[in-house]
Amino acid sequence: MSVLPFPSFLDDVKEKGLKRAVFELVDESVERLTAGMNIGDIREALRGEAPSRKPNPRLQPHADGFWLHMRPSYFHADMTGLYPTFRLGWLSTYFVFFETITGILLMIWYTPSPEVAYANMINILSNVPMGQLLRDLHRLGAEAMVLIVALHMTRTWFTGSYKKPRQFTWFTGVLLLVFTGFLSFTGYLLPWDQLALWAVTIGASMIEATPPPIVGENLNLLIRGGPEIGANGLLRFYLAHVLLLPALLFVFTGVHYYKVIVHGHSLPPKSENIGEDTAKRVPLDKRVYFIPDVLTSELMWIAVTTLILVVLCIWFYDAPLEHHADPQVTPLGTTAPWYFLWLQGALKLGDKVFWGIIFPGILLGFLAVWPYIDITPSRRYAHRRVALTIFLLLISFITVLSYMGLAKFGVVTAADITIIHELTYPPAHDKMGELLPVPYDQLVPGMYTTREFAAEAGQEAAAVSAFNSEIESNNQEQQVLNELQNQDFLPISSLNFSTVPADAPELRRVLKDFEAMIEKHKNELVNAWGGVIITQNQKDLRRVDVIISWDTVQIENGRPVLDENGNPVLVRDENGNVVRSQNIQHVFIHRDGGYFAH
Amino acid sequence: MFQGMIFPKIENRILVGVLAFVLTMVLLGWAAINEGGRMAAFDETYHARSIEQGAVLFATNCTTCHGPNGLGGAKGPALNNPQLFGHDFFPEVTREINTLNVERTTLEAEAGRTDTTQDRLNQINARIQEIDARIEELDAPRRQQLASAIEKGYDPQRPNRLQNVLWNGTLESFVLTTLIHGRPVSNNYWPIGSSGAGMVAWSQTAGGPLRMDQLEDLTAYILNWDRDWTLDDLFAVQQFAIQPSDPGPLLAQIEQLQASGGELQTAVGVNVRQILTDLETVTGDPARGDQLYHSQARSFNGTTLACNGCHMPEGPGTGPQTNGTMTRIETERLQDPALAGYTPEQYLVESIVQPGNYVVPDFQNVMIPNFGQNLSLQDLADLIAYLETTG
Repeated sequence: MSVLPFPSFLDDVKEKGLKRAVFELVDESVERLTAGMNIGDIREALRGEAPSRKPNPRLQPHADGFWLHMRPSYFHADMTGLYPTFRLGWLSTYFVFFETITGILLMIWYTPSPEVAYANMINILSNVPMGQLLRDLHRLGAEAMVLIVALHMTRTWFTGSYKKPRQFTWFTGVLLLVFTGFLSFTGYLLPWDQLALWAVTIGASMIEATPPPIVGENLNLLIRGGPEIGANGLLRFYLAHVLLLPALLFVFTGVHYYKVIVHGHSLPPKSENIGEDTAKRVPLDKRVYFIPDVLTSELMWIAVTTLILVVLCIWFYDAPLEHHADPQVTPLGTTAPWYFLWLQGALKLGDKVFWGIIFPGILLGFLAVWPYIDITPSRRYAHRRVALTIFLLLISFITVLSYMGLAKFGVVTAADITIIHELTYPPAHDKMGELLPVPYDQLVPGMYTTREFAAEAGQEAAAVSAFNSEIESNNQEQQVLNELQNQDFLPISSLNFSTVPADAPELRRVLKDFEAMIEKHKNELVNAWGGVIITQNQKDLRRVDVIISWDTVQIENGRPVLDENGNPVLVRDENGNVVRSQNIQHVFIHRDGGYFAH
Repeated sequence: MFQGMIFPKIENRILVGVLAFVLTMVLLGWAAINEGGRMAAFDETYHARSIEQGAVLFATNCTTCHGPNGLGGAKGPALNNPQLFGHDFFPEVTREINTLNVERTTLEAEAGRTDTTQDRLNQINARIQEIDARIEELDAPRRQQLASAIEKGYDPQRPNRLQNVLWNGTLESFVLTTLIHGRPVSNNYWPIGSSGAGMVAWSQTAGGPLRMDQLEDLTAYILNWDRDWTLDDLFAVQQFAIQPSDPGPLLAQIEQLQASGGELQTAVGVNVRQILTDLETVTGDPARGDQLYHSQARSFNGTTLACNGCHMPEGPGTGPQTNGTMTRIETERLQDPALAGYTPEQYLVESIVQPGNYVVPDFQNVMIPNFGQNLSLQDLADLIAYLETTG
């Protein structure tokens, strides 16, 4: 007779005692939740013992459960080592989820509007506990994901795993590579800083080149939301980043993985006979069961990879954030994100339409259809010399193009601009102008010149003193003063240079570099001198004016014209006098600016 | 090589995974503990860089008017200025003067009350004289010390810019707001001829060139001028901010111009005979006269007359009471041999434009003698029409 009018847990307690009844209840619940494994089964699995029940309960979750129905119940033993997969496919998937989770968390503090996006960044960094870490993780994860996906593709090419029957798997993989690139690229704009705006402007300007012009113009409008990137463009990039591209990525990740399972993981080339595909026929002694071996391995890798990311982000990596985006100020040396540098390099080769649109189109198209072109049956390395050569050439080509994409390649900038930039540019890509990290206390107010460092040892003071008289007599002082006073509004009345104080070694080092840079460009900067004027502007705020003054030379294609003796040809005015040029820029450095500690 | 799992034994995989997980949690916990310090450090650095950015913007956009060191120039007042930051170099003097002024105001209010006796009035007047002397005694030395600053527009009694413009917010909000919308300059607001051009609006919201974050940087830079101020800082100031003036007079003139179709009325002057002749050409409006008398309307040039400040409805005030004016003129004043042959109207006009000519017994000659400059013929006619209704 039941305690209650229907069979209940209380009957069990009455019959078996409380402890036993509770244990059985929990055990049954666990078995239902895992779709087949009770506590004892789990315990056996984790202890590495063979299953004691039949049928094998470790296969039940694959047959009956949702989460594991898409995972194979066993793997081929040859596939569980580091080679041949290097875990790259698995890592790519890991990053899909890692980026989704960190991205959703970041969305909580982000509004896609130029009015507030940058302020949101500052808020995340200054006011959201763990906000900086979260942002670092998302950014590092994004860059790692691009790298991992590209490596995954490289590996697949090398082991010939794209061959029949896996051609379509490869094809979806190329799509995923493209989506990953675009995801990373659209995310680039969201902080709305200078780095974002200009990297994306370069990228988006390629789209404009799409022929015919009417298509290019309208595509450009569609993507940027206007002739220039503004509120509409930011919103579109945001929506692409958080809705469109993730949706595509998830769908095609599903297709990709489904194909992987349907065909089985391709084995190392040497494991099977030429032309055979035995991935789905795993001999009993080669089976490594998902539960427990592959599962514990995957969980271990999740924990280790996450640990590595956290360690990197805490100690070694900070997501960059530059000044607020300003369409009016183009930073010197703007580059696309590193994974698009090859495109930027290609654009330097010539025609924008060909190198910006047709070339990458052909490249990706070639990659996508390659399995349908390369129909040779063998996956052995020795039999695939052509395919391996093609890919190595491709890697070399992309590497060279990426190098060419760097700002220092093929872009001729006037020497004076380059030098001043080297000395003063704000932090970008974890680098900054040489003057900024000089400790505040070593920025001793005063006027210093590179002539001090052009002089021989022991003659520095005399050289500086002679220099003072020299610029006074040849009118260079007046020319520099005019600009300083009237255009730069520096309230000084005369130039009087002195030697760098002995207790300012960092400042001394920068001026030495300054002199070296002038010397390096002596064909373009003839009879040049550099000056650094440090003034106290406010409490804890110093202004640093950097001056370069030189005899103007004739420039052709960005390079000085040389006469038959190899000397630069000077520019002269109507009276035959040398024309003196100067470039003066200034920065402000606050005691707490944090450049030194950086 | 690399074939088979890196950790072939399951217990090693579990160990490594658990260790990595625990280590991750420890690291996250450690990072969380340090978050307060990290965020504070970020704030400090960000503020410093904001000041740097502001300095760049100031050098480019603001120096032509406010001077390279923010000391003010021909066009703009100093921002590197103790007055902007509300620094008072003589806080004790200011405090004592303020206390005295409060007492003075209280006494004046008491003097204005109808129930104040003559004895008390005399006491009050004596005390007010004492107070004025003490204020002068307190103020004179500092005025002498600050002479060069006072010459440039500094008022030691009003050392706080925010109080002078009645700004009820923080200095930061004052600076930022001013940057956003600029400073309106109009002859209604600033004394005529005080300034050539007003400050333009700098925010993109208000049609200017700068973004909000840039204005915030500029604000951070301007506020960074605050320090332990010295008198030398005050003397270094080239120009002090102009105090807003009462817009009333000019507004009234504009109203008059609109009402008259472009012709501004002129003051009646002090020629009683001429005024009497002219008065025949206009009709007085007792209702407007009532408003003028009680400071509810302004005279043609915008002056508030405040007749009722001294002339209470029922006496005794500083001047004779208002009620029964006409009766008293006819039955008492015009009986005085000194006023033989006067008409009531003549008596009223003369009393207003030349108040010192005849002083009613028991009263002192304290009425301000400038009403001839502040009243038009119509204003005067309206006042007389009103007084005729007082019985």
